[in-house]
Amino acid sequence: MAYYAGVDIGSTMTKVVIVSDRIEASLIGPTGPEHRKLANKVMEDALNRANLRFKDLSYIVATGYGRINVPFADRQITEITCHAKGLHSLLPTVKTVVDVGGQDSKGIRINDGKVVNFVMNDKCAAGTGRFLEIIADSLGVPLQRLGELSLTAERATPISSTCTVFAEHEVINQLANGEPVANLVAGVHESIATRIYSLVSKLQIEKDIAITGGGAKNIGLVKALEAKFGSPVLVPPEPLITGALGAALLGKEKCEKALRDGYTPTRSKEGLQEAKIFS
Amino acid sequence: MAEEKKRRAVATQTAAGIPKFVRGNLAATLKAKEEGKKVAKAFIHDGQDEIMRAMDIVPAWGESFSGICAAKRDAEKYLQKAESDNFSRSLCTYATCHIGFEMIREELGGVMPEGAPWGGMGRPDMILGNGQLLCDPRFKWPQALQHYLRDVPVFVTNMYYPPWDPNIDHHEQEGFYVRYCTEELHETVRFCERVTGKKMDWDRLAAVVELSDRTWDLFVDTYDLRKAIPTPMDTGDAMNTMVPITFNIGTQEAYDFYVELNNELKQKIAQGIGVANPEKYRIIWAAGLPSWFALNDFQYFNSKGAVFPVEVTYRDHEKIEKLDLPKTDDPLEHIAWRWVRYWTHWYDAARKIPGSTPKVARIIEYIGDYKCDGVVFHSAFSCRSWHAGIIHQAEVLRKVYGDIPILIMEGDIVDISSYNEADTHNRIDAFIETLDAYKNKKRN
Repeated sequence: MAYYAGVDIGSTMTKVVIVSDRIEASLIGPTGPEHRKLANKVMEDALNRANLRFKDLSYIVATGYGRINVPFADRQITEITCHAKGLHSLLPTVKTVVDVGGQDSKGIRINDGKVVNFVMNDKCAAGTGRFLEIIADSLGVPLQRLGELSLTAERATPISSTCTVFAEHEVINQLANGEPVANLVAGVHESIATRIYSLVSKLQIEKDIAITGGGAKNIGLVKALEAKFGSPVLVPPEPLITGALGAALLGKEKCEKALRDGYTPTRSKEGLQEAKIFS
Repeated sequence: MAEEKKRRAVATQTAAGIPKFVRGNLAATLKAKEEGKKVAKAFIHDGQDEIMRAMDIVPAWGESFSGICAAKRDAEKYLQKAESDNFSRSLCTYATCHIGFEMIREELGGVMPEGAPWGGMGRPDMILGNGQLLCDPRFKWPQALQHYLRDVPVFVTNMYYPPWDPNIDHHEQEGFYVRYCTEELHETVRFCERVTGKKMDWDRLAAVVELSDRTWDLFVDTYDLRKAIPTPMDTGDAMNTMVPITFNIGTQEAYDFYVELNNELKQKIAQGIGVANPEKYRIIWAAGLPSWFALNDFQYFNSKGAVFPVEVTYRDHEKIEKLDLPKTDDPLEHIAWRWVRYWTHWYDAARKIPGSTPKVARIIEYIGDYKCDGVVFHSAFSCRSWHAGIIHQAEVLRKVYGDIPILIMEGDIVDISSYNEADTHNRIDAFIETLDAYKNKKRN
């Protein structure tokens, strides 16, 4: 049996997926300043979970912002291509992907698992997971509870500021004025959904639509996006791992094609080690 | 303090001579002050170049000055100065960078601000603008500048071309516009004569105009050579080699430059030398000026095997091509014909592609002519006139042309605060992967 791994070094989370003919193991760990150089540790844990050794892996693809700093990876592919591939394997009817990550948000138009077009918001935190983190902190609500809490709102309090810093200030003022926390959270979700919709509208949106990344774990945000798109927004079983899964599948695809063409793909000579660039 | 930046390599030897042109243009404004010649704050593509050259008026190009500040990553102090007097950051940063520079100089009593790029630019004796349709700073910039240079006379030539309208026959209308433009140019000459105290030498003007036409035709022939596969020069160099045709038109130096470039490109083609080795992807630069502080991004594309054999940058709607102009004895009427025919949105090509627009029709023609696999737009936030409507162009292109990878990059011409190199390169990486998938799909 041949095994392939995908490593997705995101701004906040590091994800590893190992596949054969099925998903053998997946693991999610924090990226953070200390862990940034420790993609090898997350890989080790994933290998342990799959009961495999590093030498059992036939090919490793790294993706995400930190993809360049994975010394043991055989190839780097952007998260755009990997998300498209990974999501297509899970939800093949999807044509438009919204990825809400820790420091950016993206829209990806796909056809048969291939990227047709993409847009990224990487200059402003207002449409990203970072915005949610800051607001959760200001309201004293755990990040994981924001979604459920917003569903209890009587109404969504409008948040007019388009900048994260000013929006936080606006939320604090509204809180001081006695606005219920649930209403404020619903307003924040609507604000993020508006920005994401505006971004993704630059693509020719086609159904089905799906969401990936940490934002997909927030039911309030998913509902707000559904209202904007006027359509259901599908969520894969584990929305954080689609990039790593796509990376593993692209590695598998490359190896299988190479074998069909009669050659062996070039492998990295580096063993399972820390990224040296951060030392 | 200017940011230390790795020197940008150029693909052609000839392009390496461009800094000499740019420095020379700045130095000429300073030398003019010593020699008692008049300096005019002027704009590119305003139809006034040859009048200035024939009257020994030395142009001080605001766009060039701001572009140099941007390339040296040293524009922030001028942008901040302009902002301190309520010029919004979203206004044209060519204008606000230059106005900020002039504000500082005026506060220093006319002394050149310390650290001005390449010795700075001479104080103008006149300001020439043009109320033409290319962009609003063409007439607002001169007005705003005179607010600080109170003693400097301003003249805004008003030159127009037929309006954007697919339902009118622009060929029928052009004569009227040419007559209007010619009259405006005569008034421009009278203004320059008043400021310089010299009369126009009409024979000299005719000779300068004739040299400009020859240079233009040579420029078109030279850029056409980039159709070769592999292309011997891409947009990374072309954004430099446009300097002589843009800032030095009507001079022998500009003509000689394109002779040299033409020879070098022919030689590279004969030897099969391309910008990228191997050349994997050919892309059209389909809209916009580049970020002058990030020209290295072209080399990043090149490092992935991607080249730009063509760009649309310096003409609004039509392809860069030789112009068929009626014969006339009046050099100003000749300039007017050239002006109107150059800038009019002809719609001739667009009408052949239902649902298209002149800009999109041009992209489609270039994709075919230059065998392009993908399209890159650059959206510079502070330059509304040249960059608005990019998303619309992309949508229309997909609708009428069909499936082709498109990347819209975001940044600015001068303001580096809009730019993030890591994210820009990440987008380029993803675009290259999309191009690769597209080419594989076409092959299969």
